[in-house]
Amino acid sequence: MQQRNDAPSLGWRINKLLQLDAMNLVILVIAVYIIWSVISALIDNPARYLPSPIAVAVSSVDMLYKGLLPSYFGDTLVRLIFGSTIGLLLGIPFGLLLGINRTVADMFHPIMNFFQSVSGIAIFPIIVVWWGNSDKTIFAVILYTAFFPIAFNVLSGVREIPIRYISAARTLGASRYQIIKDVLFPGAMPHIATGSRLSIGFAWRAVIAGEMLAGRQGLGWMIFTGQDADNTAEVILGMVMIGVTWIILDHYLLRPMEADTIERWGLVQR
Amino acid sequence: MSDAIAKESSAEGAFASLSVAIQTRIGRQRLRKIILGSIPFVVIFVLWQMNTAFEWLPAVFIPPLGDVFGAAITLQEDCVGIGGALTMDNSCLLTNHIFSSIGRVILAAVIGLPLGIAFGILAGMNRTVSRYLEPVGVFANSISGIAWIPLAIVWFGVGWMTTLFIMLNTIFWLMFFNSMLGVRSVAKVYEQSVLTMGGSRMDVIRQVYFPGAMPSIITGMRISLGFGWRALIAAEMIGGDSGLGFMIFVSAEEFKIEEVFLGVIIISLIYMATDRYLLAPLEKWTVERWGLIWKPT
Repeated sequence: MQQRNDAPSLGWRINKLLQLDAMNLVILVIAVYIIWSVISALIDNPARYLPSPIAVAVSSVDMLYKGLLPSYFGDTLVRLIFGSTIGLLLGIPFGLLLGINRTVADMFHPIMNFFQSVSGIAIFPIIVVWWGNSDKTIFAVILYTAFFPIAFNVLSGVREIPIRYISAARTLGASRYQIIKDVLFPGAMPHIATGSRLSIGFAWRAVIAGEMLAGRQGLGWMIFTGQDADNTAEVILGMVMIGVTWIILDHYLLRPMEADTIERWGLVQR
Repeated sequence: MSDAIAKESSAEGAFASLSVAIQTRIGRQRLRKIILGSIPFVVIFVLWQMNTAFEWLPAVFIPPLGDVFGAAITLQEDCVGIGGALTMDNSCLLTNHIFSSIGRVILAAVIGLPLGIAFGILAGMNRTVSRYLEPVGVFANSISGIAWIPLAIVWFGVGWMTTLFIMLNTIFWLMFFNSMLGVRSVAKVYEQSVLTMGGSRMDVIRQVYFPGAMPSIITGMRISLGFGWRALIAAEMIGGDSGLGFMIFVSAEEFKIEEVFLGVIIISLIYMATDRYLLAPLEKWTVERWGLIWKPT
């Protein structure tokens, strides 16, 4: 068994990433900036097709000044956090239940498989008919998309726990509840982490799509109405915001959390 | 478990012998799985039928099951035989939408997959290339296909090009990453041994990188087509003029809920069928055939 080193601090990690990629990123950003500017200078009607980076920056200042950007951003983030948290809170116990009881698992596995292949975006029109273009609709779609990845991951996590751990706990007189709490839950921890990241990723896509389709204020709505109003600078600004937010969320929050969880709870034994 | 056995052994007559025959034919465990797995479907089906009968929820929200299948026939009403469907005659509404969605997937796969694989292998071989392409890819993946839709509409207008662009965007980057990681996972020893035996750079690509990355590439294909299919449905809803996504979106706006249900069922059936009967077996076969289970130490 490998010796576990103390997990590096967040500051150290960011520092190392900066050292490693900073130079490349600077070059890359400058290159993209130049190419983007040249294309936008060469085409006709750049305001419509590809506004220059400066125009996008100006529009961001404008939107910040009006207070729209923070409010849209906040709306989207709140939806994501709210929806994915409840999705995870429902999915994890359900996955555990499926993992514990083979009969329940055999019963629900096929139908979960079916619903997982019905993507959240595809059931969107149905929910719109039910609840109209409301926050409830977006919320339902987020919940739906976040639920299945985590449930499946927890299920496979529980299944992968060596049976001898459960037997050992039982031999020592552990109750059913203790086995769940002390063996199954910690044992499934790495899968829970991976599943959470997947679920939140899917939920993020669902939020953006939901806002576009349901027309509720947020980043998705911002890029959608920007296109309607011929305000391409706003569209590009929204896209950049969406991309940057997800990179920050994924690379600096979820992935390190996943890695730490796997390191702490992983059952890697040779 | 034990009382299930007791129950079955106490069953008598023709039914018992039939059940034994079925059990030996299919296998006890599989039969158990099939029966248990079908329970939720049966429950939903019964609830649905009861809803139709008692109207707990109005038919505007949950259409009768018959209407859902009826919608397929209504949509295909004026269609003249299989020939009309295949030539995408204007009167064949349903098959036209299905074919245009599938056509886009095939077109995007034919263009996007080879491109993604080629760039991925290049980036896997060459650190400098990957150093510059990788951040772009990370960013492109983070924007996710859906967020490109408004800009794509500005550039290409509503229709074929927009949906194709969204799909290509999704497929290309996922494929790129998977091929790149696949090439990187190939042990250096294989490359060196080919070079030692006098192989050219082309030989290394053909004999080492490509087969070595094959399992990862096929997995990438499966993932990217799955994501691509989802992105396509979204793209058709917002920026399409045909296809299944367009169909369900327009039907929802016209409150033809039975067409929406039909569309959703067809969308998931197409995805399930492709994934289970084409991509998953392909993946399994590839891993068995090309997977590098033996690893030099």
